[in-house]
Amino acid sequence: MSKRQLAMVMDLNKCIGCQTCTVACKTQWTNRNGREYMYWNNVETYPGTGYPKNWMELGGGFDAAGDLQPGVIPNLEADYGVPWDYNYESLMGGQADSNNFHPHVSPTWGPNWDEDEGTGMFPQDNYFFYLPRICNHCTNPGCLSACPRDAIFKREEDGVVLVDLDRCQGYRYCIAGCPYKKIYFNPKISKSEKCILCFPRVEQGLPPACAQQCVGRIRFVGFLDDEESQVHKLVHKYKVALGLRSDYGTQPNVYYIPPTESPAKFDAEGKIIEGSTRLPIEELEKLFGPEVHGAIKTLKAEMQKRKETGVSELMDLLIAYQHSDMFRLDNNYYQQVAKENKRNPLAPVDTRYIAGKFTKAGGHH
Amino acid sequence: MKKLLTSILSLGVVCSAALAAEPVITAVKVSESLDAVKADSAVWSKAKFETVTLYPQTAIEFNDKKANELTAKVKAKKAQVAALHDGKNIAVLVKWADKTKDLQQCLTSTSYSDGFAVQFAGATKKAEPLPYIGMGSSGRPVVVHLQKATEKVYEPNGNKDVAMQINRQQTGVFGKELADFDAKVAALANTDYERVFVGEGFRSLTEIKDGSVKSNSAMAHGPAGWSGSLVRPLKDEYVKLGGTVPVSIAVWDGSNMGRNGLKNLSSWVAINLEGQKPNAAMVAELSTDAKGNAAKGKEAAMMNGCNGCHQLEATDAKSFMGPALHNVGGYSTAAYLRESILKPSAVVVPGYNRNAHANTPWYNIEKGKRVSTMTDFSFLDKATVEDIVAYLKTLKAEVE
Repeated sequence: MSKRQLAMVMDLNKCIGCQTCTVACKTQWTNRNGREYMYWNNVETYPGTGYPKNWMELGGGFDAAGDLQPGVIPNLEADYGVPWDYNYESLMGGQADSNNFHPHVSPTWGPNWDEDEGTGMFPQDNYFFYLPRICNHCTNPGCLSACPRDAIFKREEDGVVLVDLDRCQGYRYCIAGCPYKKIYFNPKISKSEKCILCFPRVEQGLPPACAQQCVGRIRFVGFLDDEESQVHKLVHKYKVALGLRSDYGTQPNVYYIPPTESPAKFDAEGKIIEGSTRLPIEELEKLFGPEVHGAIKTLKAEMQKRKETGVSELMDLLIAYQHSDMFRLDNNYYQQVAKENKRNPLAPVDTRYIAGKFTKAGGHH
Repeated sequence: MKKLLTSILSLGVVCSAALAAEPVITAVKVSESLDAVKADSAVWSKAKFETVTLYPQTAIEFNDKKANELTAKVKAKKAQVAALHDGKNIAVLVKWADKTKDLQQCLTSTSYSDGFAVQFAGATKKAEPLPYIGMGSSGRPVVVHLQKATEKVYEPNGNKDVAMQINRQQTGVFGKELADFDAKVAALANTDYERVFVGEGFRSLTEIKDGSVKSNSAMAHGPAGWSGSLVRPLKDEYVKLGGTVPVSIAVWDGSNMGRNGLKNLSSWVAINLEGQKPNAAMVAELSTDAKGNAAKGKEAAMMNGCNGCHQLEATDAKSFMGPALHNVGGYSTAAYLRESILKPSAVVVPGYNRNAHANTPWYNIEKGKRVSTMTDFSFLDKATVEDIVAYLKTLKAEVE
């Protein structure tokens, strides 16, 4: 466990599935150098196959006894999808094959292949919601436990989980060990890569790109032990933000406000079934555990309180009048850490991932 | 019935093990420089090949479900090994059977390449015991030269779709097209994969990237399988090789999803440099069988509860507590086995982060070092220890 832990809370009631976070992350980190197929941040439709395909069934994580569970490494083409491109250049240039607009490979699968499909029968009881996912920067990471090379580490300063690319040799046990399949293999450099929680931004007091760009203002970022932080209040004070699939035993540090509002179902004649809800509580329980009942109860009670009295700290938090109200990154903290460790305040707080660091050392203990 | 069958089988292993001693390889002295030697160089006609057996590494089970299914049935492999030296360099050639040619792929997440590695003991004054076979041990470093199979193949969709492949041998492609092709290959980073590591234990393996080691390795695939060659200096800042050189060989099979621990490896094998005085004690240690009584050793192992934490026979139940020992006889020296019984913390077989199996802590960290939770068996009498060592030496997979 690290000394402090950065956390993110995502309010699923506000996610509109616009993929702005996905694009922000992709352009910042993964549109090049063998990362083209990776989505460190993705937004999937739930219920759905997710990204990579059926990730919840691919193993990893820990059992109740604390033993790491074996897992399966997804296939790039079948489970993630080859990132295809179109023949824009020849079309624009009026070249021979420009008659057809076609992708450079025949795509058989890709992220969001089943976007907005959801489940149920339209219009009676169909439903879906969006589930944005990044690395959970777990307190007990499956990827870290699986690595036989000690190439994955969790930063003491803020609990960000990183891959030391100098030590990584591309064995991919981390991918099998991560129950969220949020660590990826870069086939070009034969090493694993993952979400870094935008630590170079965070160290300078900026929120991660996905959170900064979020148009729905669903993402809160801060330190869990900072009682003034939005994440502390949502996770610990009001207990309305819950980890995704906590039953995997990795203690995730990305939390979700479960979706509470959904329209009523229609009967065969298209009339509203009073008191019904499209979102089955069993599904929410599967994703967020039994605590979801309490979280929904609190959310509904605070909503009611706000309606009646006009006052609710929780509702004010969730509305997020100013985007800057969603982040408490405490940027002096990293400068203090640098000072304590006699490091240059402009250098990253942890340099373990910097290539070549261990070249001469006989061991790494 | 099952018990009876197991005991008959293990008896069989005991008998066959008594016959098989590890070979001693002679590195023939040649007058020409070995600097540029490859697997198919003519100079290898001067070499004398010996058969070395490579056993599947089963000490630690990894968490890749598919790979575990594939490797469960892997048997020991025979490799032909020869060596040459020119006074400055040592060259090692390894030939092993592998029907499929699995290359390092640059557009897939689930393919693995064939490869081989040669491990040398680092420069230490004490010859015995040699470093732990699994990438050395604390204070006893090793240098590992690794070569993975690569080839300049540009595969647009990574599908192993032969019709879509373009390769350099297509003579219709030349000039600018060939340059374009090379650029595409380079863009895919499908380049040579040769690495040198220094390690003091599996976890500690560290790539040497500063050019302080000269290494020239290559692989060639033919109908009989792979040939892999390695040339390195006899002396540099990491190793001082002379007289008798202990080496160990590992091979990986990409079609079994082989990588890191999922490999076949040999025990330490002695290579005598022709024209130099061999280290008789080391040669004897590496090429003769354990002297104890294996049948008595098996009884002693049971009496002392080894199977409480270790999987001894391949048919026994698995345990996360201690490393599985059902191939330990294949890739361990008697000295290592003796040391592990008497001083369990001398080498703590490095495994996962302890979090992986939090309920079965096989080590504790004391003063920054891993201290084994295994009981110290130094109270056993010498003969019993030798018997257990002899028994452990019989634990190995049958040969393919």
